[in-house]
Amino acid sequence: MSSVTRPRREADFARFPSSTPIVIDNGASTFRIGWAGEAEPRLSFRNVVQRPRHRSTGETVSIVGDTDPSLMKFFDCTRSAVRSPFDDDVVYQFEYMEYILDYGFDRLGANSEVGHPILMTECECNPSFSRVRMSELLFETYGVPSIAFGIDNAFSYKYNQKLGNCNEDGLAISCEHGTCHVVPFLKGQPVLGACCRTNVGGFHITDFLRQLLSLKYPYHMASITWDKAEELKKEHCYIALDYMAELQIFKNNKEEADEKMRYWQLPWVPPPKDEPPSEEELARKAALKEKASQRLRDMAAAKRSQKIVELEKQLSYLEEVMEQLDEAEEQEATAILGRSGYLSQQEIKSAILKATQSLRKAKGESNGNDEKTDASAADKYPLVSVPDETLTPEQLKEKKKQILLKTTTEGKLRAKQKRAEEEALREKQEEKRRAENPELYLEELRSRYSELSEKFEQRKRQKVNGGQTNGNHSSSGGVGRGERLNAAQKERMRLLASAAFDRGKGEDTFGMRDEDWLVYNKMSKDNDDDSNDDDESELVRIASKLQEIDPTFVSKSEAVQLTPEPPKIRPLTAEDYRIAIGIERFRCPEVLFQPGMIGIDQAGIDEMVSISLRRLMEDESVKERLCQSILVTGGSSLFPGMIPRLESGIRQYRPYLAPLKLVRAADPILDAWRGAAAFAASSKFGKQTFSLADYREHGENLFHRYNIVYSP
Amino acid sequence: MESEVVRTEMVLAPTLPFKKMQTADKYPKGQSRGRQWKHLRHLLQSADAFSMPPDRPNYMNIQSPPSIYPPKRYCDLTGFEAPYVDPRTKLRYADPEVFKQIRMLPDEYVQSRAAVELCQDQDYISVANYGLLWYFRLPAASQQRNRVWDRNMDVWTW
Repeated sequence: MSSVTRPRREADFARFPSSTPIVIDNGASTFRIGWAGEAEPRLSFRNVVQRPRHRSTGETVSIVGDTDPSLMKFFDCTRSAVRSPFDDDVVYQFEYMEYILDYGFDRLGANSEVGHPILMTECECNPSFSRVRMSELLFETYGVPSIAFGIDNAFSYKYNQKLGNCNEDGLAISCEHGTCHVVPFLKGQPVLGACCRTNVGGFHITDFLRQLLSLKYPYHMASITWDKAEELKKEHCYIALDYMAELQIFKNNKEEADEKMRYWQLPWVPPPKDEPPSEEELARKAALKEKASQRLRDMAAAKRSQKIVELEKQLSYLEEVMEQLDEAEEQEATAILGRSGYLSQQEIKSAILKATQSLRKAKGESNGNDEKTDASAADKYPLVSVPDETLTPEQLKEKKKQILLKTTTEGKLRAKQKRAEEEALREKQEEKRRAENPELYLEELRSRYSELSEKFEQRKRQKVNGGQTNGNHSSSGGVGRGERLNAAQKERMRLLASAAFDRGKGEDTFGMRDEDWLVYNKMSKDNDDDSNDDDESELVRIASKLQEIDPTFVSKSEAVQLTPEPPKIRPLTAEDYRIAIGIERFRCPEVLFQPGMIGIDQAGIDEMVSISLRRLMEDESVKERLCQSILVTGGSSLFPGMIPRLESGIRQYRPYLAPLKLVRAADPILDAWRGAAAFAASSKFGKQTFSLADYREHGENLFHRYNIVYSP
Repeated sequence: MESEVVRTEMVLAPTLPFKKMQTADKYPKGQSRGRQWKHLRHLLQSADAFSMPPDRPNYMNIQSPPSIYPPKRYCDLTGFEAPYVDPRTKLRYADPEVFKQIRMLPDEYVQSRAAVELCQDQDYISVANYGLLWYFRLPAASQQRNRVWDRNMDVWTW
């Protein structure tokens, strides 16, 4: 496909007189066109059309035949498929047929009307609607004077008869692209009543191969295209003489099977290995990091100094204001205050304090925390220290509030201190224990860790499982028993039911006690208990401790993360990119003999011979004569091993020791065209055609009895 | 058009001198042509009886009947002979190892495998009554026949 050459335009169209017929072999796989009397067709291309959109101009164009993949980049092929006008072996889509004929005639060199008679091939017993439309197309669009339709297998048989491969009475077995036919010949004429057709052909074989390979190598599904599968089929497939025996070889015998395997290596580039960075690399990276951190530190220092400068400035300004206030009198004082933006002396004082604090912090001196709290305490609770009698009722309320605030904050502080003390005590104890007996300590720690982690896991699993079973069951449509199999779920449902149910009479005492509200905790599906948090924090603490002292400890969470990874994912090696075609080599062409393998419920070609002979309804001597001249033709008959297999197959249906002779056609692919060309060149061709006038006169009825006479 | 494309002459010219009526006129732009073309099985079904008289050979008559031999059962995964069927997925398998693999397959694999071997185990009806036989077989067998592999989209189309 890569070296596809487009056919050139023939230059000698005008040379041929208008009585010379043009011979067209319209096959499901290839279209061949040429002049009568010649040995080879002038043109032969794949009988397909695609209509992509040209990217730059945007118009839809038609491309007939095989295409060069490198040129296809100019076209947008996403919405255009490769289409064929055929369905099995009958033309049904005449738009594409028209494009193909256009191309064929154009390449043949036609520039004015195609004024030559045409001999076109068709399948056996072509339905009349197909013939009608084809004649219409040829007569009305191309201006052809007369047409003749002939069967391609018959032409092939006639040609081989002339060559001496077969006799006047015989059988033609033809395996084509979409179908297989068996046609008996008596006195040189095909007996269409005894014809047999099975709807498997080369197309189905290729498709079967493609499907099998895609299923076996799903990773390469994109590379296994129909065209590639066809290439592989033509190169590697063969027909086994005894299918079951071949299967056994592959099943049991390893060496023979290996010999028969063929491999197709897809391009594969090993991923670049990460080399461990060398010494220089490491040193360089470390230096870079140092520089970066140094830069950061410089920036931070600069910022800090800037901040210090600003604060000092502010501080000096505020102190100035304070001085002014101290010196000045009443009215001036308010004016000064208004200018500075503070409302009272008190505010200024506190501002000064704050500024000094931050200055000290910025300079890195000790934090005046205690001073601050004291100061703020003094500020915040000015009324606390004042005795009750001197205050107004409002102020009393204020005082109560402040007392409350003070006690709570003090209480919090005290609690924090106590906890810190406890921590310190515990730490000391643990250290002591560790110092005493490191082994035992480690054991204890490990056991505690595993306990906690187990509990944690279980709780998590419960939660997840509960959710999952719920999800599963609800997805299967089961709202009901399935949801409440878990004990926790049962409890939850009970609570929901009882809580939601409004009793009406009697007092509702819910909420009187604080513990009542805890039921909401239980009811909600995803509740995080407080106890959970405690356990979690302890777990984390122990984990960190263990990591410090125990070199072999691996945190459970890390371990858990590794295992869910699917075992199949491993780096793809060269092996994976090598597609092995072993059993498919003979399994795919077996479809011709056993169409049941792909679901087509018809007889295979060896059985078709017996069916055809039976339909012939002649006596035994005739059958014997026929079987002595069997011609195998058609493109799909080129598989190695076809003739011996056919012979053994047909022998099963014939009487014991009946003579059989199978011959392959001289050129199974081109013989049909050659036969047709020879037929068209003969003198009697003119009588076999029908012209436009005939067609107009009889219409469709013309085709009901139209069959050309092949014998010379 | 790019020069290489023009040089190779791969694109069909829109107007050709030997045609009486150009394709652009015959199939005007904008109409969805895909619907216009009936598939072969529709055409065959709608073909009138006169054009296909049963006494003379016609396209339907010469079709070959189902094989008189019982269909051989092959494994869906390996291709060997397979006497066993997996009850859950209805795939055939040859060995216990193959069975293990079948059970491990994800769903879409099962669908595609089943599509490859469609009616492998469909039993035949007796060959004798051709007319009745054809009538019953028409949906299944002709459906397979008239599938077209859409190569760009990688799907079966009808």
